[in-house]
Amino acid sequence: MKKISIYRPSTVDEAIQILSQHGSEAGVYAGGTDLLIRLKNRLHQAPTYLVDIKKIDHLRFIQEDAQGGVEIGAATKLAELADSRLLQDKYPMLVEAVNKISSPELRNASTLGGDLLQEVWCQYLRGGYSCWRNGGYLCYGAIGDNSYYHSAMGGRLCYAVYPGDAATALIPFDARAKLATPQGVKELSIEQLVPGDMLVDGRIQSHVVRFNEILTSVVIPPPKPGVRASFEKLRPRGVWDFAMASLAISLQLRDKTIDDARVVFGGIAGKPYRETSVETFLKGKTLSADLGEQAISVALANAAPLKYNATKIGMAKGLLASGLARLNA
Amino acid sequence: MKTIDGLLLDPVGCLAEFPPGPFHEIAVRLFGRKGKASASGSRSYWHLLNLMEAAEIPLKGERRKIAEALEAEAVAGASIYEDVLPVLAELRTMGIRPFIASSLSRTSITTLVQRCSLGEFLSGVWTRDDGGVKIAPLLAALGGASLPADQAMYLTDTVEGIKVARSAGVHPILMMNDPDEARRLATHNPAGGVVSLHEIPDFIRLIAAQNKSRAE
Repeated sequence: MKKISIYRPSTVDEAIQILSQHGSEAGVYAGGTDLLIRLKNRLHQAPTYLVDIKKIDHLRFIQEDAQGGVEIGAATKLAELADSRLLQDKYPMLVEAVNKISSPELRNASTLGGDLLQEVWCQYLRGGYSCWRNGGYLCYGAIGDNSYYHSAMGGRLCYAVYPGDAATALIPFDARAKLATPQGVKELSIEQLVPGDMLVDGRIQSHVVRFNEILTSVVIPPPKPGVRASFEKLRPRGVWDFAMASLAISLQLRDKTIDDARVVFGGIAGKPYRETSVETFLKGKTLSADLGEQAISVALANAAPLKYNATKIGMAKGLLASGLARLNA
Repeated sequence: MKTIDGLLLDPVGCLAEFPPGPFHEIAVRLFGRKGKASASGSRSYWHLLNLMEAAEIPLKGERRKIAEALEAEAVAGASIYEDVLPVLAELRTMGIRPFIASSLSRTSITTLVQRCSLGEFLSGVWTRDDGGVKIAPLLAALGGASLPADQAMYLTDTVEGIKVARSAGVHPILMMNDPDEARRLATHNPAGGVVSLHEIPDFIRLIAAQNKSRAE
């Protein structure tokens, strides 16, 4: 592992100054469950200067706001989200999703911000191949074994899937991310935060956070009346695995009539994949036992699987059917 | 990689899918090649170019007529990739100069360019009539367009294409049309690779952004 230097700023402003000073050589260090592995993997884009934000106040909290929503500090541990009575009462689907992230040990270290902004876990990247995210100009996943970590919905240079579960689960709640930047606070929807393979500061990354910006919190609006939500995840093992496919679905119901819907797939694309055609299809429908089969017929029409990962699409459709069945139960 | 200014394109394999039969037939009739045609138009084409290069003498008279007639069949049977025109249009807005640098004859290229309405997007056309096959059209394009080789990409889906580009000092970019074949070709050290042509503008933008970022 290369030599690194660690800064321990006490304020967000100080952290931004350090990040600005070192440019893309610096990186934010919180839980370390992604960053330290990137260093151990000797990735080209792993930072030399770590800016440890754990000592900064007001980055690790879960609190209700005046409108009845909840704000979560970016440095809050995933285990703290999983244990939060407030989140369990207001957004049980989010807690369900968090409990399916990685393993209990890693949830004790990983932060919400880290889960949202983590690097992809493509085996070629992590194995040191000179790919788009590692100083090269070729996606080995597109031509190699792409059965697990790669997109079945097309790509943009890099074909790795976005691996985070928290973003997939937050999008149905219309959650927003707050970023501290040198120009002040910036707010983005979660979809805007992780739009998939982006060219940012001369790098390909899944999120839009620039080298001198810090994700500080996530704000979830108050729960809407009549909302039922479910999170489903398929993975090779019951724990400590990324999604082969996942689904976060929420329905706003009036009796059994669907007034509004959010359908977001994880593990199948370079971003949390919001399936608006299914959302449109579901609106106005009556939640019933056969709705899942009908919804499947309009889902993921834009699928573009690679050689070995068409099974992801079948899994995702299966999750849609089981998710709707669960909400109908 | 230096910021890219121009793109060298041989239509065979990077702009259109060509049938292998006519290229194989030229190889059989003019060069005595035996055996079956490759399943790939690109491979049949490059096999033929190897034979043409080894013969050293430019095709003339009746031999030239036979070659051009069969090439015309290949062009007629070629199906242009659906992203070609939007990508060429995007490259034009980015100020990137696309050139045809092909070992096909000028007659064949002219027919193809007209048939596929490529003309308005191209900054120049060089063919085997400009000095020969394989590396010759690339060198002619670089010289004719005053394009520095290290600021040019050459798209290819064959080993020979990678080697020719390297010899010309141009960045060989692998068109990964077939994942199994691309996995094999990736071991021949291309400068990069794309799954489809629509990724080329992003590729060029990324290099420009990386160079800008380094300069800052």
